[in-house]
Amino acid sequence: MIAELLNTLWVSSIYSLMSVPLTLSYRVTKIINFAHISFITYGAYVAVIFSLLLPLGLIETSLIVFLVVAVLAVLNHMLVLSPLMSRGTNVVTLMIASMGSWIFLKYLLYALVSSAQKVLRVDLFYVTPNIAIPSTIIIGEFRVSTFLLISNAMNIMTLLFLYVFLMKVKLGRAMRAVADNAGLAQITGISKNAVLNATWILTGGIAALGGLAWSLSYYASPELGDNVILQVFACSVIGGLSSIPLTFAGAFVIAFAENILIAWLHTYLGLDVSFRPFISFLTLLLVILIRPPAGGGGGLPYRFKLPFRGDKKRSTS
Amino acid sequence: MSEQSKPENKGTSILPRYVALLLIGIVIGSAVGYLVESSAVESERSIVSQLQDQVAQLQAVKEYSIGCTFPLTGDLAFIGTQFQSVAEMAVADLNNQTARYGLKVRFNLVIYDDKTTPEVALTNVQTLAQAGVKVVIGPAGSSQIKAIKSYADDNKIMIISPSSTVPDLAIPDDYIFRTTGSDVGQSQALATLISGQGMKKVLVFARDDDYGVAFGQFFKKDFEALNGTVVIMNYAVGQTDYSSEVAQLSTKVKNEGFDSVLMITYDTDGANILNHAKDDATLSSIRWFSSEGVQGTPQLTDPAIAAFIQKVKLYGTRPVFKENPLLLNFKAEFKAETGLDAGVFTDKVYDSVFLAGWSIIAGGYDGAAIKEALPKVAQNYYGASGWCILDGNGDRLIQDYAVWTVVPKVGGGFEYQDVASYSSGSLVWG
Repeated sequence: MIAELLNTLWVSSIYSLMSVPLTLSYRVTKIINFAHISFITYGAYVAVIFSLLLPLGLIETSLIVFLVVAVLAVLNHMLVLSPLMSRGTNVVTLMIASMGSWIFLKYLLYALVSSAQKVLRVDLFYVTPNIAIPSTIIIGEFRVSTFLLISNAMNIMTLLFLYVFLMKVKLGRAMRAVADNAGLAQITGISKNAVLNATWILTGGIAALGGLAWSLSYYASPELGDNVILQVFACSVIGGLSSIPLTFAGAFVIAFAENILIAWLHTYLGLDVSFRPFISFLTLLLVILIRPPAGGGGGLPYRFKLPFRGDKKRSTS
Repeated sequence: MSEQSKPENKGTSILPRYVALLLIGIVIGSAVGYLVESSAVESERSIVSQLQDQVAQLQAVKEYSIGCTFPLTGDLAFIGTQFQSVAEMAVADLNNQTARYGLKVRFNLVIYDDKTTPEVALTNVQTLAQAGVKVVIGPAGSSQIKAIKSYADDNKIMIISPSSTVPDLAIPDDYIFRTTGSDVGQSQALATLISGQGMKKVLVFARDDDYGVAFGQFFKKDFEALNGTVVIMNYAVGQTDYSSEVAQLSTKVKNEGFDSVLMITYDTDGANILNHAKDDATLSSIRWFSSEGVQGTPQLTDPAIAAFIQKVKLYGTRPVFKENPLLLNFKAEFKAETGLDAGVFTDKVYDSVFLAGWSIIAGGYDGAAIKEALPKVAQNYYGASGWCILDGNGDRLIQDYAVWTVVPKVGGGFEYQDVASYSSGSLVWG
């Protein structure tokens, strides 16, 4: 049980790093951005490539990963989303466009990795960044996984940073204003473009840190983002696609379901552990039904609401 | 006029007519003669031209296409990209070889990515067939072979798979040929190895797919024939992380008293499983064994995982002819070309290209003819993977196995090493 608990903490911190920026980007831009999945994968590979070329420590690698993928996210916005938005394209079309970006970036990465493999003459499929970190450290009498500590530290620091940024910093407050009412925010002099660019910088950078954390703990592969897409969206949906704290909680719920809950179900009900992805998907489905994300459906539980007394009168007038 | 002058007038009036007739005749005759001569010359020229064309054709290099469908993306991208490099290396070597023998043939590759999925593998084979390609190397996975088999048989497209090992694809008189030994042989090798190591109760931890399920069942039969006990535990594939599965494995091992685990995995899931197992006290106290799926994965040379492998004395098997100088040449050439160590089945890919090429030369560029020629070519072919003789089902007849593990490397780090070989029922260490 201790192993499952530790794994829950480990995996939940990584899921949180991957899903919180998705919530942030939707909250501000109102776009469900599938290219977010590619940002995660690119984060892992930026770490792998740079760590092969330069003798980097964890902090330098994290900064480089953040910056490079932040630029990628801004480019994705400037080249794909912004031109469509300026033509008044609806959010569904923008979401579809983001799917195109996702697929394009994925296969671009395959081409880049294959080329880099030939140039650098090292295996680049299923590799970990070349950063000298001991796999375990001893704390008192316990041997603790270093990667567990690193991923949780990155997650907590990111959440604290976001709290301070969104609450105390002018640009962060501007982002909240645009998220609540973009038109009104612009009237007050807030530059929507500046806010969107800042949002994509944070989104891309933090998602990349999620990819870095995953690759340190497991491995980097071009399929990394695709392998976690269900969990990332499930965490964000639990957060209602709007609340960062609830997304963080959602990450713990999904990790709990995949590790501890499935273990209980297997032990006491004989459910096969292969039902693990089903648990994540069932959780996602239940949340959508009970508490639809982004205010859809009118709230909790919308279809069981009793008719308001004045409903009939209003409908006839 | 007098009568005496009449005869003189007759003579002088006829001559000009004869001369005129002669001249006309000469002109006509010349014209006719010219025409006749021209057509004769033309005819000769035509014959000469045809002969020249035939000579040119005989001297021209004929170019044939060999199709490939490899997993360049998806779960098996790690070996798929190696397959691509090996195939390119092989076709270059094949072209050099045929040129040295003075044969006017040249081969080129048409490589498609099947994304490690059966659906795309089928689409690729259909596309290649429509482009006129008669022989295809790949796909890598047995489930992909099952998806394309019907189309290949109906359309006479020769399929040469270098890595499909599922026993139920051993079907005679079809268009599927496999240059690697079936898992029937490898399960016997593993049963002999594990029994020889003194194990009595094995928990098989296998992928829940065609490969893992069939392999597990054959191993169970072989190990129980050696008076051992086997329980099979399948796990769902395609997960991001297998920590729960490993936790369940640990509980089962502890509760039911197994002395060893045999893992039947691919590379990524296998590495993930070992990564979690190293942190489990129960799983660190028993012996581990493995099939070929995880062999060659760079993660197993990670210090923490390698230390675990050493602690539990993990041995695995893989299909290879150990004492084969051509294999050593191939591995050296691959390393020089790419900087990488040749992964599992890459030697089979190399030989598959050569078998395809020589079968085309022997039988012609036609699916049925290649199918007829391939077993005969393979009968006499000794390549990087050893003797490529095929059985009645079109599968490799003779397959030896190496026992591999991970050991410390001189100068630091860890590397894969073959520590024993299995051939014809005997295991030889060293």
